[in-house]
Amino acid sequence: MANMDPKALRSRVENISTIPTIPSVLKQLSAIIENPKISLNEISHFVSQDPALTTKILQMVNSALYGFPGRISSVNHAVMLLGLNVVKGLLLSVSVFEIMHKAMIGLREHSIGVAIASKVLGRKKGLKEPEEVFVAGLLHDVGKVILTLAWPEEYEKTVKDAEAAGIAIFDAERSHFSETHAAVAGWLAEKWHFPRKLCECIANHHRPQVSTLAPLETAIVHTADVIVKARGIGYSGDRLVPGVNPGAWETLGLSEADLREILKELEDSVEQTEEEFRA
Amino acid sequence: MPKIPVEQLKPGMKLARPLENASGMVLMAEGTELTEARISKIENMGIDSVYIDGPSRPARPKEELLAALEERFSKVGNSPPMALIKKAVKEHIEAMYG
Repeated sequence: MANMDPKALRSRVENISTIPTIPSVLKQLSAIIENPKISLNEISHFVSQDPALTTKILQMVNSALYGFPGRISSVNHAVMLLGLNVVKGLLLSVSVFEIMHKAMIGLREHSIGVAIASKVLGRKKGLKEPEEVFVAGLLHDVGKVILTLAWPEEYEKTVKDAEAAGIAIFDAERSHFSETHAAVAGWLAEKWHFPRKLCECIANHHRPQVSTLAPLETAIVHTADVIVKARGIGYSGDRLVPGVNPGAWETLGLSEADLREILKELEDSVEQTEEEFRA
Repeated sequence: MPKIPVEQLKPGMKLARPLENASGMVLMAEGTELTEARISKIENMGIDSVYIDGPSRPARPKEELLAALEERFSKVGNSPPMALIKKAVKEHIEAMYG
């Protein structure tokens, strides 16, 4: 499988509804979101038919970390406050959380951590919509879930190889699948019609230097990933802290005091969030 | 912020989250400083634990967390940014143990 054709890989990933192990709620949601002309009403209608999904999405937007504690009462209301793209991202994340937890224990905690750290960094760097990098953080590793579900044995081998060789998971992925989880998540983000900036920062979170449309956002998600791994929150396929890209680091210009503040916010929010989103 | 069982609450602790009854009505605001009287009020409401300001004490011993930190950083080299991140995390972990 080492010489898997990247085109075949991409087409399998993009046809996620044909992967039998994908949960049906994710398939349905994906089918709806794939339509570029999807309206707010259609999304609300779909969500309102699924009480479990409604509860989870409202729980998430109403959690203290999101900044509207207890104030958002409907999916319509959430879209008005947060925008369609953010709500789409949150819906996909919550419908992937349960399976994420089964696919790789600790990946959900890691993803929530990266989302929170990205949002804090985004706020610090004056992003107009820090929620967008929050969503990018939530979805940045969704490629690992898809690879696990589509090729369970091969991905398990990949994780074992990475552990045994003491290399990063994305390097092991490249030799097993010819592409990385970041590329996989980027293809899906495109398929789901997320803004190009968001797709770019998901696809390039391990190589922020190639990002042209969203260098700041990509540097944020990349660095958030490094910080969360440095703190050891959750698990994402290997236990090694990857080196931060020098260009991304320079773009953000973080001081030691900034890092301390991010770590503190991370600690508080991850603790709360884990309690609130326990599936 | 740690979630503290009611029997371990002490005067002077501050609520990290508002205390609400089942219908969502706020009974004590976030930041309220606990007194003996307020603690017994919380007990009487049948609440078993509340969120208190401040860092939680991790369940694992400090030495174990610091050793895991070294392990995580063992392959990454010591460039100035990585050294700074490691230092910040190390101090952050140490601070959790007070």
